Amino acid sequence: MFSNQKMPEAPLYMEGKWHGKDYSVIKELGRGANGVVYLVFHKGTKVALKVGLDSIDLLMEANVLTQLQSHNEKIGPAIYDVDDVVIEGKTHAYYAMEYVEGERLDRSLKQVGKEWLPLLLIQLLSHLHVIHQHGYVFGDLKPENMIVVKSGKQVCLIDFGGVSKQGHAVRQFTEEYDRALWQAGDRRADPGYDLFSLAVMMVRLCTDKETWNRLPSVRRHVQMLYAIIADNEHVAPYRIPLQKALEGRYQTAIQMKADILHAFHQKSVNVAGSSVASNKEGLGSKLLGGLFVVSMLLLAGSLYYLWM
Amino acid sequence: MAKPATLRQILVVTDGCSNSGISPIAAATLAREQGITVNVIGVIDKNELGEQGEQEIREMAQAGGGMHDIVYPAQLAQTVQMLTRKAMTRTIQHVVNKELKQILGESEMDNLSPEKRMQVAGMVDELGEQSSLEVVMLVDTSASMKNKIAAVQQAIFDFSISLRSRSGKSKMAVCSFPGKEKHLDTLIPWTNQVEKAYQLSSSLTMSGITPTGPAITEAIALFGHIELPEKLANKYQKNSRINEEDGGFMQDHVF
Repeated sequence: MFSNQKMPEAPLYMEGKWHGKDYSVIKELGRGANGVVYLVFHKGTKVALKVGLDSIDLLMEANVLTQLQSHNEKIGPAIYDVDDVVIEGKTHAYYAMEYVEGERLDRSLKQVGKEWLPLLLIQLLSHLHVIHQHGYVFGDLKPENMIVVKSGKQVCLIDFGGVSKQGHAVRQFTEEYDRALWQAGDRRADPGYDLFSLAVMMVRLCTDKETWNRLPSVRRHVQMLYAIIADNEHVAPYRIPLQKALEGRYQTAIQMKADILHAFHQKSVNVAGSSVASNKEGLGSKLLGGLFVVSMLLLAGSLYYLWM
Repeated sequence: MAKPATLRQILVVTDGCSNSGISPIAAATLAREQGITVNVIGVIDKNELGEQGEQEIREMAQAGGGMHDIVYPAQLAQTVQMLTRKAMTRTIQHVVNKELKQILGESEMDNLSPEKRMQVAGMVDELGEQSSLEVVMLVDTSASMKNKIAAVQQAIFDFSISLRSRSGKSKMAVCSFPGKEKHLDTLIPWTNQVEKAYQLSSSLTMSGITPTGPAITEAIALFGHIELPEKLANKYQKNSRINEEDGGFMQDHVF
Protein backbone atom coordinates (compact mmCIF):
# COMPACT_ATOMS: atom_id res chain seq x y z
CA MET A 1 0.00 0.00 0.00
CA PHE A 2 2.67 2.52 0.93
CA SER A 3 5.61 1.87 -1.29
CA ASN A 4 8.08 3.59 1.03
CA GLN A 5 7.54 0.72 3.40
CA LYS A 6 6.45 -2.07 1.14
CA MET A 7 6.25 -5.55 2.56
CA PRO A 8 8.78 -7.87 0.97
CA GLU A 9 7.87 -11.42 0.02
CA ALA A 10 8.05 -13.61 3.09
CA PRO A 11 10.82 -16.18 3.01
CA LEU A 12 9.83 -19.84 3.28
CA TYR A 13 11.51 -20.09 6.64
CA MET A 14 11.77 -17.48 9.41
CA GLU A 15 13.63 -17.36 12.66
CA GLY A 16 13.12 -14.82 15.43
CA LYS A 17 16.11 -12.60 16.07
CA TRP A 18 15.72 -12.47 19.86
CA HIS A 19 13.93 -15.62 20.96
CA GLY A 20 15.05 -17.88 18.14
CA LYS A 21 11.68 -19.53 17.50
CA ASP A 22 11.42 -20.86 13.97
CA TYR A 23 8.50 -20.87 11.56
CA SER A 24 7.99 -22.31 8.11
CA VAL A 25 5.62 -20.26 5.99
CA ILE A 26 2.68 -22.09 4.39
CA LYS A 27 0.74 -19.23 2.79
CA GLU A 28 -0.40 -15.65 3.12
CA LEU A 29 -3.72 -15.30 4.95
CA GLY A 30 -4.37 -11.62 4.41
CA ARG A 31 -3.11 -8.06 4.38
CA GLY A 32 -4.16 -5.27 6.68
CA ALA A 33 -3.11 -1.66 6.99
CA ASN A 34 -0.48 -2.57 9.57
CA GLY A 35 0.97 -5.73 8.14
CA VAL A 36 0.67 -9.11 6.49
CA VAL A 37 -0.64 -12.24 8.21
CA TYR A 38 0.84 -15.61 7.26
CA LEU A 39 -0.15 -19.13 8.10
CA VAL A 40 2.97 -20.84 9.40
CA PHE A 41 4.05 -24.07 11.04
CA HIS A 42 5.80 -23.98 14.38
CA LYS A 43 6.83 -27.36 15.80
CA GLY A 44 4.17 -29.05 13.73
CA THR A 45 1.35 -26.72 14.82
CA LYS A 46 -0.45 -24.20 12.64
CA VAL A 47 0.16 -20.66 13.85
CA ALA A 48 -0.78 -17.25 12.43
CA LEU A 49 2.08 -14.78 12.18
CA LYS A 50 1.68 -11.08 11.57
CA VAL A 51 4.67 -9.25 10.14
CA GLY A 52 4.47 -5.49 10.57
CA LEU A 53 4.89 -2.78 7.99
CA ASP A 54 5.37 -0.40 10.84
CA SER A 55 6.99 -1.63 14.00
CA ILE A 56 5.25 0.82 16.35
CA ASP A 57 1.72 -0.02 15.21
CA LEU A 58 2.38 -3.74 15.32
CA LEU A 59 3.86 -3.59 18.80
CA MET A 60 0.88 -1.59 20.05
CA GLU A 61 -1.36 -4.40 18.85
CA ALA A 62 0.84 -7.04 20.47
CA ASN A 63 0.74 -5.07 23.68
CA VAL A 64 -3.06 -5.01 23.80
CA LEU A 65 -3.37 -8.69 22.86
CA THR A 66 -0.98 -9.60 25.66
CA GLN A 67 -3.03 -7.60 28.17
CA LEU A 68 -6.31 -9.20 27.07
CA GLN A 69 -4.79 -12.65 27.22
CA SER A 70 -4.96 -12.73 31.00
CA HIS A 71 -8.75 -12.74 30.74
CA ASN A 72 -10.66 -16.02 30.83
CA GLU A 73 -12.95 -15.20 28.00
CA LYS A 74 -11.67 -15.77 24.53
CA ILE A 75 -11.74 -12.32 22.96
CA GLY A 76 -8.95 -12.48 20.45
CA PRO A 77 -6.29 -14.96 19.40
CA ALA A 78 -3.79 -16.03 22.03
CA ILE A 79 -0.38 -14.46 21.46
CA TYR A 80 2.70 -16.69 21.65
CA ASP A 81 5.77 -14.78 20.57
CA VAL A 82 6.82 -11.19 19.82
CA ASP A 83 10.08 -10.83 17.96
CA ASP A 84 11.95 -9.39 14.97
CA VAL A 85 12.74 -11.07 11.69
CA VAL A 86 15.24 -9.88 9.08
CA ILE A 87 13.83 -10.06 5.55
CA GLU A 88 16.01 -8.91 2.68
CA GLY A 89 18.31 -7.09 5.07
CA LYS A 90 15.49 -5.15 6.76
CA THR A 91 14.26 -5.78 10.28
CA HIS A 92 10.50 -6.27 10.70
CA ALA A 93 8.66 -6.79 13.96
CA TYR A 94 6.24 -9.69 14.09
CA TYR A 95 4.04 -11.51 16.52
CA ALA A 96 2.88 -15.11 16.43
CA MET A 97 -0.64 -15.91 17.53
CA GLU A 98 -3.11 -18.72 17.64
CA TYR A 99 -4.53 -19.62 14.22
CA VAL A 100 -8.27 -19.20 14.66
CA GLU A 101 -10.02 -21.52 12.25
CA GLY A 102 -13.46 -20.45 11.22
CA GLU A 103 -15.57 -18.32 8.96
CA ARG A 104 -15.77 -14.56 8.71
CA LEU A 105 -18.87 -13.30 10.54
CA ASP A 106 -20.80 -12.22 7.42
CA ARG A 107 -20.07 -15.47 5.58
CA SER A 108 -20.86 -17.56 8.61
CA LEU A 109 -24.26 -15.87 8.95
CA LYS A 110 -25.15 -16.88 5.41
CA GLN A 111 -24.70 -20.49 6.43
CA VAL A 112 -26.27 -20.54 9.88
CA GLY A 113 -29.00 -17.96 9.29
CA LYS A 114 -29.66 -14.42 10.40
CA GLU A 115 -31.40 -15.49 13.61
CA TRP A 116 -27.94 -16.21 15.01
CA LEU A 117 -26.87 -12.60 14.68
CA PRO A 118 -28.33 -11.32 17.98
CA LEU A 119 -26.62 -14.14 19.83
CA LEU A 120 -23.28 -13.37 18.23
CA LEU A 121 -23.77 -9.69 18.99
CA ILE A 122 -24.37 -10.52 22.64
CA GLN A 123 -21.03 -12.32 22.70
CA LEU A 124 -19.35 -9.41 20.95
CA LEU A 125 -20.74 -7.03 23.54
CA SER A 126 -19.17 -9.14 26.29
CA HIS A 127 -15.83 -8.99 24.45
CA LEU A 128 -16.11 -5.25 23.99
CA HIS A 129 -16.91 -4.78 27.64
CA VAL A 130 -13.63 -6.45 28.62
CA ILE A 131 -11.68 -4.34 26.11
CA HIS A 132 -13.34 -1.20 27.44
CA GLN A 133 -12.56 -2.18 31.01
CA HIS A 134 -8.90 -2.41 30.07
CA GLY A 135 -9.10 1.25 29.00
CA TYR A 136 -9.22 0.62 25.26
CA VAL A 137 -11.68 0.82 22.41
CA PHE A 138 -11.62 -1.73 19.56
CA GLY A 139 -12.07 0.98 16.92
CA ASP A 140 -12.31 -0.82 13.60
CA LEU A 141 -15.34 -3.07 14.23
CA LYS A 142 -16.52 -4.79 11.05
CA PRO A 143 -17.45 -8.30 9.95
CA GLU A 144 -14.06 -8.67 8.26
CA ASN A 145 -12.43 -8.45 11.69
CA MET A 146 -14.51 -11.18 13.28
CA ILE A 147 -14.37 -14.92 12.97
CA VAL A 148 -16.98 -17.42 14.04
CA VAL A 149 -14.89 -20.28 15.34
CA LYS A 150 -15.49 -23.63 13.68
CA SER A 151 -15.85 -25.53 16.92
CA GLY A 152 -19.07 -24.10 18.29
CA LYS A 153 -20.63 -20.74 17.56
CA GLN A 154 -18.03 -18.61 19.28
CA VAL A 155 -17.15 -15.27 17.81
CA CYS A 156 -13.59 -14.04 18.05
CA LEU A 157 -12.09 -10.63 17.16
CA ILE A 158 -9.05 -10.99 14.94
CA ASP A 159 -7.54 -7.71 13.75
CA PHE A 160 -6.58 -5.41 16.61
CA GLY A 161 -5.06 -2.72 14.38
CA GLY A 162 -7.72 -0.19 15.32
CA VAL A 163 -7.45 -0.62 19.08
CA SER A 164 -7.08 2.82 20.66
CA LYS A 165 -6.65 4.13 24.17
CA GLN A 166 -9.84 5.66 25.52
CA GLY A 167 -9.71 9.43 25.20
CA HIS A 168 -7.34 9.26 22.21
CA ALA A 169 -8.44 9.61 18.61
CA VAL A 170 -9.48 6.27 17.05
CA ARG A 171 -6.42 4.90 15.26
CA GLN A 172 -8.11 3.16 12.38
CA PHE A 173 -11.67 2.93 11.15
CA THR A 174 -13.77 1.88 8.18
CA GLU A 175 -16.10 4.48 6.67
CA GLU A 176 -19.16 2.23 6.64
CA TYR A 177 -19.16 1.82 10.43
CA ASP A 178 -17.62 5.12 11.47
CA ARG A 179 -19.58 7.34 13.84
CA ALA A 180 -18.17 10.57 12.41
CA LEU A 181 -19.10 9.75 8.82
CA TRP A 182 -22.68 9.06 9.90
CA GLN A 183 -22.59 12.54 11.44
CA ALA A 184 -23.36 11.07 14.83
CA GLY A 185 -20.31 12.26 16.76
CA ASP A 186 -16.58 12.55 16.67
CA ARG A 187 -13.79 10.03 16.48
CA ARG A 188 -12.63 10.16 20.05
CA ALA A 189 -12.24 6.66 21.43
CA ASP A 190 -15.02 6.02 23.97
CA PRO A 191 -17.10 2.85 24.50
CA GLY A 192 -19.95 4.48 22.57
CA TYR A 193 -17.80 4.53 19.43
CA ASP A 194 -17.64 0.73 19.35
CA LEU A 195 -21.33 0.36 20.20
CA PHE A 196 -22.22 2.67 17.32
CA SER A 197 -20.19 0.57 14.88
CA LEU A 198 -21.75 -2.60 16.23
CA ALA A 199 -25.26 -1.21 15.69
CA VAL A 200 -24.49 -0.19 12.09
CA MET A 201 -23.00 -3.60 11.52
CA MET A 202 -26.10 -5.37 12.78
CA VAL A 203 -28.33 -3.31 10.49
CA ARG A 204 -26.05 -3.85 7.54
CA LEU A 205 -25.80 -7.60 8.00
CA CYS A 206 -29.60 -7.87 8.01
CA THR A 207 -30.14 -5.61 5.01
CA ASP A 208 -30.04 -6.81 1.43
CA LYS A 209 -27.33 -5.38 -0.78
CA GLU A 210 -29.69 -3.33 -2.97
CA THR A 211 -31.21 -1.46 -0.03
CA TRP A 212 -27.82 -0.82 1.50
CA ASN A 213 -26.28 0.39 -1.76
CA ARG A 214 -29.07 2.93 -2.13
CA LEU A 215 -27.54 4.85 0.78
CA PRO A 216 -25.63 7.90 -0.44
CA SER A 217 -21.84 7.66 -0.29
CA VAL A 218 -21.47 11.09 1.28
CA ARG A 219 -23.45 12.95 3.95
CA ARG A 220 -24.95 9.89 5.50
CA HIS A 221 -27.15 10.35 8.47
CA VAL A 222 -28.42 7.96 11.16
CA GLN A 223 -32.02 8.85 10.20
CA MET A 224 -31.41 6.78 7.08
CA LEU A 225 -30.62 3.81 9.32
CA TYR A 226 -33.81 4.27 11.34
CA ALA A 227 -35.78 4.02 8.12
CA ILE A 228 -34.07 0.74 7.26
CA ILE A 229 -34.59 -0.63 10.77
CA ALA A 230 -38.34 0.13 10.72
CA ASP A 231 -38.74 -1.74 7.44
CA ASN A 232 -36.76 -4.81 8.31
CA GLU A 233 -38.28 -7.75 10.17
CA HIS A 234 -34.87 -9.01 11.35
CA VAL A 235 -33.78 -5.82 13.08
CA ALA A 236 -37.10 -4.14 13.90
CA PRO A 237 -37.42 -6.06 17.21
CA TYR A 238 -34.09 -4.53 18.25
CA ARG A 239 -35.10 -1.00 17.31
CA ILE A 240 -34.75 0.38 20.83
CA PRO A 241 -31.22 -0.84 21.65
CA LEU A 242 -30.06 -0.05 18.10
CA GLN A 243 -31.41 3.46 18.23
CA LYS A 244 -29.90 4.02 21.67
CA ALA A 245 -26.50 2.84 20.41
CA LEU A 246 -26.74 5.01 17.29
CA GLU A 247 -27.60 8.02 19.44
CA GLY A 248 -24.74 7.32 21.82
CA ARG A 249 -26.98 6.82 24.83
CA TYR A 250 -25.12 3.79 26.20
CA GLN A 251 -22.24 4.27 28.62
CA THR A 252 -21.24 0.64 28.65
CA ALA A 253 -21.46 -2.46 26.46
CA ILE A 254 -23.17 -4.29 29.31
CA GLN A 255 -26.18 -1.94 29.16
CA MET A 256 -26.59 -2.57 25.46
CA LYS A 257 -26.18 -6.30 25.99
CA ALA A 258 -28.99 -6.28 28.57
CA ASP A 259 -31.33 -4.44 26.16
CA ILE A 260 -30.53 -6.74 23.24
CA LEU A 261 -31.16 -9.75 25.45
CA HIS A 262 -34.44 -8.27 26.59
CA ALA A 263 -35.53 -7.62 23.01
CA PHE A 264 -34.49 -11.14 22.09
CA HIS A 265 -36.72 -12.61 24.79
CA GLN A 266 -39.60 -10.32 23.85
CA LYS A 267 -39.31 -11.39 20.24
CA SER A 268 -39.32 -15.09 21.09
CA VAL A 269 -42.29 -14.69 23.41
CA ASN A 270 -44.22 -12.62 20.85
CA VAL A 271 -43.65 -15.07 18.02
CA ALA A 272 -44.69 -18.02 20.14
CA GLY A 273 -47.52 -16.05 21.76
CA SER A 274 -49.09 -15.00 18.49
CA SER A 275 -49.06 -18.58 17.19
CA VAL A 276 -50.79 -19.76 20.35
CA ALA A 277 -53.44 -17.05 20.09
CA SER A 278 -54.30 -17.90 16.51
CA ASN A 279 -54.66 -21.59 17.26
CA LYS A 280 -57.29 -21.97 19.93
CA GLU A 281 -58.08 -25.60 19.07
CA GLY A 282 -57.38 -27.91 21.96
CA LEU A 283 -54.78 -30.25 20.53
CA GLY A 284 -53.10 -27.64 18.34
CA SER A 285 -52.79 -25.30 21.24
CA LYS A 286 -51.30 -28.00 23.45
CA LEU A 287 -48.87 -29.01 20.74
CA LEU A 288 -47.83 -25.42 20.13
CA GLY A 289 -47.57 -24.82 23.84
CA GLY A 290 -45.28 -27.81 24.06
CA LEU A 291 -43.23 -26.56 21.16
CA PHE A 292 -43.01 -23.20 22.82
CA VAL A 293 -41.65 -24.73 26.01
CA VAL A 294 -39.16 -26.79 24.02
CA SER A 295 -38.01 -23.77 22.04
CA MET A 296 -37.61 -21.70 25.20
CA LEU A 297 -35.57 -24.49 26.73
CA LEU A 298 -33.43 -24.66 23.62
CA LEU A 299 -33.02 -20.93 23.69
CA ALA A 300 -32.05 -20.93 27.34
CA GLY A 301 -29.61 -23.74 26.64
CA SER A 302 -27.97 -22.01 23.75
CA LEU A 303 -27.74 -18.74 25.63
CA TYR A 304 -26.17 -20.46 28.57
CA TYR A 305 -23.72 -22.16 26.25
CA LEU A 306 -22.89 -18.92 24.52
CA TRP A 307 -22.22 -17.06 27.71
CA MET A 308 -19.81 -19.58 29.06
CA MET B 1 11.16 13.47 27.84
CA ALA B 2 10.20 16.84 26.41
CA LYS B 3 7.03 17.16 24.40
CA PRO B 4 7.80 17.15 20.69
CA ALA B 5 7.43 20.46 18.91
CA THR B 6 4.53 21.06 16.56
CA LEU B 7 4.29 18.56 13.72
CA ARG B 8 3.74 20.15 10.31
CA GLN B 9 2.41 18.39 7.25
CA ILE B 10 1.34 19.19 3.72
CA LEU B 11 -1.17 16.73 2.28
CA VAL B 12 -1.43 16.77 -1.50
CA VAL B 13 -4.62 15.33 -3.04
CA THR B 14 -4.19 14.92 -6.80
CA ASP B 15 -5.20 12.70 -9.70
CA GLY B 16 -2.35 13.07 -12.10
CA CYS B 17 0.98 14.45 -13.10
CA SER B 18 2.08 17.98 -12.51
CA ASN B 19 2.70 19.89 -15.70
CA SER B 20 3.73 23.36 -14.74
CA GLY B 21 6.57 25.03 -12.85
CA ILE B 22 9.11 23.63 -10.43
CA SER B 23 9.18 19.85 -10.05
CA PRO B 24 6.92 18.70 -7.19
CA ILE B 25 9.69 16.38 -6.03
CA ALA B 26 12.05 19.33 -5.64
CA ALA B 27 9.31 21.27 -3.89
CA ALA B 28 8.71 18.37 -1.48
CA THR B 29 12.45 18.25 -0.74
CA LEU B 30 12.28 21.94 0.01
CA ALA B 31 9.35 21.41 2.38
CA ARG B 32 11.17 18.64 4.19
CA GLU B 33 14.17 20.91 4.72
CA GLN B 34 11.79 23.30 6.47
CA GLY B 35 10.60 20.59 8.82
CA ILE B 36 7.37 19.94 6.94
CA THR B 37 6.40 16.40 5.98
CA VAL B 38 4.71 15.93 2.59
CA ASN B 39 2.07 13.20 2.23
CA VAL B 40 0.43 12.50 -1.11
CA ILE B 41 -2.85 10.82 -2.01
CA GLY B 42 -3.64 9.93 -5.60
CA VAL B 43 -7.39 9.71 -6.24
CA ILE B 44 -8.46 7.62 -9.20
CA ASP B 45 -11.74 6.81 -10.88
CA LYS B 46 -10.82 3.78 -12.89
CA ASN B 47 -7.27 3.22 -13.92
CA GLU B 48 -6.38 6.59 -15.24
CA LEU B 49 -3.31 7.38 -13.19
CA GLY B 50 -0.65 5.67 -15.29
CA GLU B 51 2.85 4.73 -14.33
CA GLN B 52 4.23 8.23 -14.59
CA GLY B 53 1.59 9.65 -12.27
CA GLU B 54 2.19 6.88 -9.75
CA GLN B 55 5.90 7.41 -9.86
CA GLU B 56 5.55 11.13 -9.28
CA ILE B 57 3.29 10.56 -6.28
CA ARG B 58 5.70 8.04 -4.81
CA GLU B 59 8.76 10.21 -5.34
CA MET B 60 7.01 13.29 -3.98
CA ALA B 61 6.18 11.49 -0.72
CA GLN B 62 9.68 10.02 -0.50
CA ALA B 63 11.30 13.41 -1.01
CA GLY B 64 8.93 14.97 1.51
CA GLY B 65 9.64 12.31 4.14
CA GLY B 66 5.98 11.31 4.11
CA MET B 67 3.66 8.56 3.00
CA HIS B 68 1.51 8.08 -0.05
CA ASP B 69 -1.38 6.00 -1.24
CA ILE B 70 -3.52 5.70 -4.34
CA VAL B 71 -7.23 5.19 -3.66
CA TYR B 72 -10.76 5.44 -5.05
CA PRO B 73 -12.85 8.47 -4.02
CA ALA B 74 -14.86 6.37 -1.54
CA GLN B 75 -11.74 5.56 0.48
CA LEU B 76 -10.46 9.11 0.56
CA ALA B 77 -11.66 10.20 4.01
CA GLN B 78 -10.28 7.09 5.69
CA THR B 79 -6.96 7.39 3.85
CA VAL B 80 -6.47 11.04 4.80
CA GLN B 81 -6.75 10.17 8.48
CA MET B 82 -4.57 7.08 8.22
CA LEU B 83 -1.77 8.70 6.24
CA THR B 84 -1.66 11.69 8.55
CA ARG B 85 -1.49 9.53 11.63
CA LYS B 86 1.14 7.16 10.24
CA ALA B 87 3.33 10.02 9.07
CA MET B 88 3.01 11.62 12.49
CA THR B 89 3.98 8.43 14.28
CA ARG B 90 6.95 8.13 12.01
CA THR B 91 8.17 11.67 12.69
CA ILE B 92 7.87 11.11 16.43
CA GLN B 93 9.62 7.80 16.11
CA HIS B 94 12.59 9.61 14.57
CA VAL B 95 12.64 12.08 17.45
CA VAL B 96 12.41 9.30 20.04
CA ASN B 97 15.08 7.35 18.19
CA LYS B 98 17.44 10.31 18.36
CA GLU B 99 16.83 10.74 22.08
CA LEU B 100 17.38 7.05 22.69
CA LYS B 101 20.65 7.29 20.83
CA GLN B 102 21.71 10.10 23.10
CA ILE B 103 20.77 8.16 26.22
CA LEU B 104 21.94 4.72 25.18
CA GLY B 105 24.89 5.62 22.98
CA GLU B 106 24.79 3.99 19.59
CA SER B 107 21.79 1.86 20.43
CA GLU B 108 18.75 2.60 18.28
CA MET B 109 15.22 1.43 18.68
CA ASP B 110 15.84 -1.58 16.45
CA ASN B 111 18.49 -2.73 18.87
CA LEU B 112 16.07 -2.89 21.78
CA SER B 113 14.33 -6.15 22.57
CA PRO B 114 10.71 -6.37 21.36
CA GLU B 115 9.49 -6.28 24.95
CA LYS B 116 11.28 -2.98 25.59
CA ARG B 117 10.07 -1.64 22.26
CA MET B 118 6.48 -2.42 23.19
CA GLN B 119 6.91 0.14 25.96
CA VAL B 120 8.49 2.62 23.58
CA ALA B 121 5.58 2.08 21.18
CA GLY B 122 3.17 3.12 23.91
CA MET B 123 5.20 6.27 24.50
CA VAL B 124 5.36 7.13 20.79
CA ASP B 125 1.61 6.68 20.56
CA GLU B 126 1.06 8.93 23.56
CA LEU B 127 3.40 11.64 22.21
CA GLY B 128 1.65 11.51 18.85
CA GLU B 129 -1.71 11.98 20.48
CA GLN B 130 -0.57 14.91 22.63
CA SER B 131 1.56 16.84 20.14
CA SER B 132 0.33 19.84 18.16
CA LEU B 133 -0.42 19.23 14.52
CA GLU B 134 -0.70 21.63 11.59
CA VAL B 135 -1.81 20.33 8.22
CA VAL B 136 -2.27 22.14 4.91
CA MET B 137 -4.44 20.16 2.52
CA LEU B 138 -3.52 20.94 -1.07
CA VAL B 139 -6.34 19.96 -3.40
CA ASP B 140 -5.73 19.55 -7.11
CA THR B 141 -8.70 21.21 -8.85
CA SER B 142 -7.61 20.70 -12.42
CA ALA B 143 -10.47 19.73 -14.73
CA SER B 144 -10.14 15.95 -14.34
CA MET B 145 -10.83 16.20 -10.60
CA LYS B 146 -14.37 17.42 -11.27
CA ASN B 147 -16.23 14.22 -10.45
CA LYS B 148 -14.11 13.55 -7.37
CA ILE B 149 -14.81 16.89 -5.75
CA ALA B 150 -17.76 15.62 -3.68
CA ALA B 151 -15.51 12.98 -2.12
CA VAL B 152 -12.77 15.56 -1.50
CA GLN B 153 -15.28 17.84 0.19
CA GLN B 154 -16.44 15.04 2.44
CA ALA B 155 -12.80 14.19 3.23
CA ILE B 156 -12.07 17.81 4.22
CA PHE B 157 -15.02 18.00 6.57
CA ASP B 158 -14.21 14.57 7.90
CA PHE B 159 -10.59 15.40 8.50
CA SER B 160 -11.57 18.32 10.68
CA ILE B 161 -13.54 15.87 12.84
CA SER B 162 -10.49 13.63 13.11
CA LEU B 163 -8.37 16.59 14.17
CA ARG B 164 -10.87 17.66 16.80
CA SER B 165 -10.94 14.11 18.17
CA ARG B 166 -7.24 14.35 19.05
CA SER B 167 -6.04 15.34 22.50
CA GLY B 168 -3.30 17.63 21.16
CA LYS B 169 -3.88 21.00 19.53
CA SER B 170 -4.58 20.77 15.82
CA LYS B 171 -5.34 23.09 12.97
CA MET B 172 -5.78 22.73 9.25
CA ALA B 173 -5.97 24.89 6.15
CA VAL B 174 -7.29 23.96 2.73
CA CYS B 175 -5.86 25.31 -0.53
CA SER B 176 -6.61 24.55 -4.13
CA PHE B 177 -4.26 24.60 -7.08
CA PRO B 178 -4.17 26.04 -9.67
CA GLY B 179 -5.47 29.24 -8.12
CA LYS B 180 -7.35 31.99 -9.89
CA GLU B 181 -4.34 34.29 -10.10
CA LYS B 182 -1.55 32.60 -8.18
CA HIS B 183 -0.61 28.94 -8.16
CA LEU B 184 -2.61 28.50 -5.02
CA ASP B 185 -5.88 29.76 -3.58
CA THR B 186 -6.51 29.48 0.14
CA LEU B 187 -10.05 28.14 0.40
CA ILE B 188 -10.12 27.66 4.15
CA PRO B 189 -7.59 29.58 6.27
CA TRP B 190 -6.19 27.98 9.43
CA THR B 191 -9.01 26.57 11.50
CA ASN B 192 -9.83 23.67 13.77
CA GLN B 193 -13.40 23.36 12.56
CA VAL B 194 -14.67 23.19 9.02
CA GLU B 195 -18.35 24.00 8.69
CA LYS B 196 -20.54 21.13 7.60
CA ALA B 197 -22.18 23.27 4.97
CA TYR B 198 -18.87 24.20 3.38
CA GLN B 199 -19.11 23.92 -0.42
CA LEU B 200 -15.84 23.33 -2.17
CA SER B 201 -17.25 23.29 -5.68
CA SER B 202 -18.53 26.87 -5.52
CA SER B 203 -15.02 28.22 -5.29
CA LEU B 204 -13.25 26.18 -7.93
CA THR B 205 -11.37 27.14 -11.00
CA MET B 206 -11.37 24.21 -13.36
CA SER B 207 -8.19 24.46 -15.32
CA GLY B 208 -5.98 22.13 -17.31
CA ILE B 209 -2.81 23.23 -15.60
CA THR B 210 -1.55 21.24 -12.64
CA PRO B 211 1.19 23.25 -10.92
CA THR B 212 1.80 20.80 -8.05
CA GLY B 213 5.38 21.95 -7.41
CA PRO B 214 4.68 25.68 -7.23
CA ALA B 215 1.63 24.96 -5.05
CA ILE B 216 3.74 23.05 -2.53
CA THR B 217 6.32 25.84 -2.52
CA GLU B 218 3.63 28.41 -1.80
CA ALA B 219 1.99 26.22 0.83
CA ILE B 220 5.26 26.16 2.78
CA ALA B 221 4.83 29.89 3.34
CA LEU B 222 1.50 29.26 5.10
CA PHE B 223 3.30 27.78 8.07
CA GLY B 224 4.11 30.77 10.23
CA HIS B 225 7.37 29.39 11.53
CA ILE B 226 9.49 29.98 8.45
CA GLU B 227 10.24 32.41 5.73
CA LEU B 228 10.85 30.94 2.34
CA PRO B 229 14.56 31.20 1.56
CA GLU B 230 14.78 32.88 -1.81
CA LYS B 231 18.06 31.21 -2.74
CA LEU B 232 16.78 27.67 -2.24
CA ALA B 233 13.66 28.32 -4.22
CA ASN B 234 15.75 29.64 -7.10
CA LYS B 235 18.06 26.69 -6.97
CA TYR B 236 15.19 24.24 -7.24
CA GLN B 237 13.53 26.28 -9.94
CA LYS B 238 16.57 25.71 -12.19
CA ASN B 239 16.63 21.99 -11.58
CA SER B 240 12.97 21.50 -12.27
CA ARG B 241 12.13 18.90 -14.83
CA ILE B 242 9.42 20.78 -16.61
CA ASN B 243 9.69 24.48 -17.39
CA GLU B 244 6.88 26.98 -17.36
CA GLU B 245 7.04 27.40 -21.16
CA ASP B 246 6.08 23.84 -22.05
CA GLY B 247 3.54 23.77 -19.25
CA GLY B 248 0.81 23.14 -21.77
CA PHE B 249 2.47 20.09 -23.16
CA MET B 250 1.02 17.62 -20.72
CA GLN B 251 -2.20 19.39 -19.90
CA ASP B 252 -5.12 17.37 -18.71
CA HIS B 253 -8.16 17.06 -20.88
CA VAL B 254 -10.47 20.00 -20.42
CA PHE B 255 -14.14 19.15 -20.56
